[in-house]
Amino acid sequence: MSLPTILVVDDEIAIHRFLRPVLTAEGYRVVQAMTGTDALKLAAGEDPAAIVLDLGLPDFDGKEVIQRIRKVSQVPIVVLSARDREAEKVRALDLGADDYVEKPFGVGELMARLRAAMRHAKATGGGVLVSGDVSVDVAAHVVRKGGREVRLTRREFDVLLALFRNAGRVVTHTHLLREVWGSANEGNTQYLRVYVGQLRQKLEDDPAAPRLILTEPGIGYRLV
Amino acid sequence: MTKDDAPRASPDALLAEASREGRGRLRLFLGAAPGVGKTYAMLQAARAAKAAGRDVLVGIVETHGRADTEAMVADLEILPRARIPYRGRLVSEFDLEAALARRPSLLLVDEYAHSNVEGSRHPKRWQDVADCLRAGIDVWTTMNVQHVESLNDVVQRITGVRVRETVPDTTLRTADEIVLVDLPSDELIRRLAEGKVYVEDTATRATQNFFKPSNLTALRELALRQVASRVDSDLLERMQGGAIEGPWAAGERLLVCLGPDDAAERLVREGKRLADLLGAHWFAVTIERPGVTLDGPAAAKLDVAMQLAKSLGAETQSLVGSDLPTEILRFARFENVTQIVVGRARVGRAWLPWSKGSLADAMVRRARGVSVLVLTEDREAAWRRWTLPEMGSWTAYPAAAASVAAATLLGTQLVRFVPLPNVSMLYLLAVLVPAILIGVWPAVLASFLSFGAYNFFFIDPAGTFTIARPHELLALAVFLIIAVTISAVAGQAREQMRASARRTRAARRLYEFTRTLSALPDANAVLEAAASEINAALGRAAVILRPEGADLEIAAAWPPDDRLDVPARTAARWSFEHGEAAGAGTQTLPSSGWFFTPLDVADQRVGVLGLERPGDNAPLDAEARALLAALAEQTAAALGRALLSTEVRAARTAAETERVRNILLASISHDFRTPLASILGSATALIDYGERLDDEARRDLLAGVRDEARHLDQMVRNLLSMTRLEAGALEINRDWIDVGEILNRIVESARRRGATQGFAVDLPEEPILAHADGTLLDQALGNIVGNAVRHAGPNARVMLSARRSPDGVTVEIDDDGPGVPDGLRPQVFEKFTRHRTSGADGGDSAGLGLAITKGIVEAHGGTVELLPNDPARPRGAAFRVHLPAGEGAPA
Repeated sequence: MSLPTILVVDDEIAIHRFLRPVLTAEGYRVVQAMTGTDALKLAAGEDPAAIVLDLGLPDFDGKEVIQRIRKVSQVPIVVLSARDREAEKVRALDLGADDYVEKPFGVGELMARLRAAMRHAKATGGGVLVSGDVSVDVAAHVVRKGGREVRLTRREFDVLLALFRNAGRVVTHTHLLREVWGSANEGNTQYLRVYVGQLRQKLEDDPAAPRLILTEPGIGYRLV
Repeated sequence: MTKDDAPRASPDALLAEASREGRGRLRLFLGAAPGVGKTYAMLQAARAAKAAGRDVLVGIVETHGRADTEAMVADLEILPRARIPYRGRLVSEFDLEAALARRPSLLLVDEYAHSNVEGSRHPKRWQDVADCLRAGIDVWTTMNVQHVESLNDVVQRITGVRVRETVPDTTLRTADEIVLVDLPSDELIRRLAEGKVYVEDTATRATQNFFKPSNLTALRELALRQVASRVDSDLLERMQGGAIEGPWAAGERLLVCLGPDDAAERLVREGKRLADLLGAHWFAVTIERPGVTLDGPAAAKLDVAMQLAKSLGAETQSLVGSDLPTEILRFARFENVTQIVVGRARVGRAWLPWSKGSLADAMVRRARGVSVLVLTEDREAAWRRWTLPEMGSWTAYPAAAASVAAATLLGTQLVRFVPLPNVSMLYLLAVLVPAILIGVWPAVLASFLSFGAYNFFFIDPAGTFTIARPHELLALAVFLIIAVTISAVAGQAREQMRASARRTRAARRLYEFTRTLSALPDANAVLEAAASEINAALGRAAVILRPEGADLEIAAAWPPDDRLDVPARTAARWSFEHGEAAGAGTQTLPSSGWFFTPLDVADQRVGVLGLERPGDNAPLDAEARALLAALAEQTAAALGRALLSTEVRAARTAAETERVRNILLASISHDFRTPLASILGSATALIDYGERLDDEARRDLLAGVRDEARHLDQMVRNLLSMTRLEAGALEINRDWIDVGEILNRIVESARRRGATQGFAVDLPEEPILAHADGTLLDQALGNIVGNAVRHAGPNARVMLSARRSPDGVTVEIDDDGPGVPDGLRPQVFEKFTRHRTSGADGGDSAGLGLAITKGIVEAHGGTVELLPNDPARPRGAAFRVHLPAGEGAPA
């Protein structure tokens, strides 16, 4: 029981076939489910450290699985989804999924996302958050880049903090807007574009080719 | 009249101006007589125009060998003439087609009133010119005043020469400019004497007196007047168009009453002259009496007169009513007519005591506030030919005789009980009955027979035809008169009854026609029905043409025939393009064997309707024409509706096709993505984690790559097969194969791909051989099993069995899953039919599997069916495939 458990939910046996050896090699214990019902059962019974979830399941919708797990647990969930279903990914993320990987995917990518999700789950609020040469002192409201302080407005700081708190993971537009501006402004993605633009001007080495705050087209932003 | 009240733009004037826009402009060089130099003047002006940079083309100019005129033409571009074969020789004519194709800016066309040779597009050159104007080409032309339609009579009266070639006044009025080419009479006569004038018209040449000074002066005056009145009307039109206050036309409105007689044409010409003098709007009306049908020549006369009136600018109207004066006066009041023109009725039944006298008399007596002009005849009108009633069928005569015989028999019996004089009443009965039931002539025969029989049997001396007393002779004569009169009156009543029955039938026919057409679903059915109905109603071959790309194609014909000769096609085309009737009996391409009328609905032209000219060349009577118009209208309406619904359906089909394509793309991309995800995942796992995995895990990943690649291959094959099936290009390589082996292979491959279901293969001892294409059959049966794996649930049982049946091989594939929903059963073998068992990812397949199964099995001559659920099989999907035994099947 010392090994962390990963629950893999997919109705395609072929996916299990290559994920199991990889996850095992990474040092996880693998539990497999083919249906939503089994997934819920195992999520409750096996206490997984993270869940890899395919959205297309034979018995019910993968999004419903997220919803029902989120009621009882904050376990990191990485969603497997088709490339052409932006709306579905956004829905899944808004329902509480931590990240997504588009099918078809390389296992390296999935593993990275999975690790980021689990790392975040361990991280706690407060202290100093660091990514590359940028650091955020949450308590002091101070942002430094390469050791020099960078002046940010209150909103810019809030946006940056929201991204730092979810570092490595995609944060949807809706999530950011709700967190920074409140739920009344969920549709106003133009605010975000303006503030993210300003943050890049102040924090990126080359604002035209961002390396810190990445855009996930149609979905949101990711801080790496 | 309200338009007198305020100075506002008259709509008519504005319309006339508007209809000119986009058209070519017509300049007319008008002369009083041949030889005044019209052509010369036109050419002179044309050279000036050319010098000014205009694109001038000489369409046709007759130089008559005059050197000065020829010199004028020399440096202008000349259109080659068309050669039209006519009675064994080639006649050269103005080439309208070539002119339209060449499209000059300005076209010169000599002799506006010229009649084209038979076989040309139009009978008259002015119609050719109208086509050119419509095409936006400016045209200059020449004409002598004697050719003006409304002056035809006057010219004849002046010169004694009847001019055959005339131009309607309306086309003259549309001329944008009229240039008067004038030459003093003396000068003209001098030129004539010098031989400088070429007189074309043979009739004119024959008349030595034509070029008398008095004649020429009168003609000059006519020409000058024509131009002067034209200036007047131009001025008036401008004033009305610009709402300039000024001397207004007195608002006279003229009504000309036309009857089916020789005077009609003259009445029209007089009416036109009066209307011109008064500057009046004028009407030409005719009245049809219900139940009275005109005979051919009379109807034709009336037609000619009405058409003439129309071409002279009258508004024509056919009224219906039995009381002529009342109808005319009602119409006159309605249209605010100020003057009525009637001809003096020639016959007038004045000798009959109940006659109301002539129409003219009645009009004069009853008109209030309207002037009535009565035109008298030039010469004594010919007496109307007495037309005899029809003879009727021969069987009618024995019937009439039988009627008399019956009366005689009855009389000889009655005479025993009653006095003699009453017996004659029986004979009146014997005459009356055939008169009412059969016709006039049998009744007359009955009269004579009655007379003879009465005389023979009842008048002393009985048994002989001798008449003893003179007063009995008188009695017999009176008897004969009464009998004939009764039969005539009764016969007339019967004719009217028949006529009204005919109208009722026509009305019913129209109603039935409308109903039939409105019930038809598509345009082709409407066209077929319309053609056959029109043929039945009018007794002539009917054809309907529809635009098909750039051309008109026969869409329906009755009797069915798909050919039309070239003149007919040309007429149809013209009718379609110009929206007017063309072909036989019209002014456009009358030599064609067909008559065409456009089919218009709303502002769309949907086709043309054609009627063949019958062998005897008889025109349609008024009733038939009205019926034709109604039928054409109904056909157009029904066709328009059908086309609209076809369009709606096509749009719906297109939307459906689009939907199917989207489904296909979505599901194919999904179907391909899953095996690709597996291959990519396995490959990256091997690359990134290869050294950390044991041998078995590595082998399994590689096997996964292989299996999924096979799966992809399978899907590509399915898609290809579907394409081939649809294109009818599926190739079947038959061989003897063991169906049991195929089933086992399918199960194994399903298990390898991760099927968790329980499989049971039930086979007899001996191999079950089928003469089939192994690869295709593998695919067909594999698709059914694939379906079961996808839809029956992970723990279902799938049973496969194969049996030899007397006429082939039967395979059944059966599962205990949820089965096929009832709603999906009928289309389960159709393309893109999918059952959504899973949620967000949509279906698991393109919905091609079973469609391919069906295609392959049927290509083998077999059948596939989805067996119904019954108490023995309450759930699950069961498919039965039957393959016929091939030739030389093992027993």
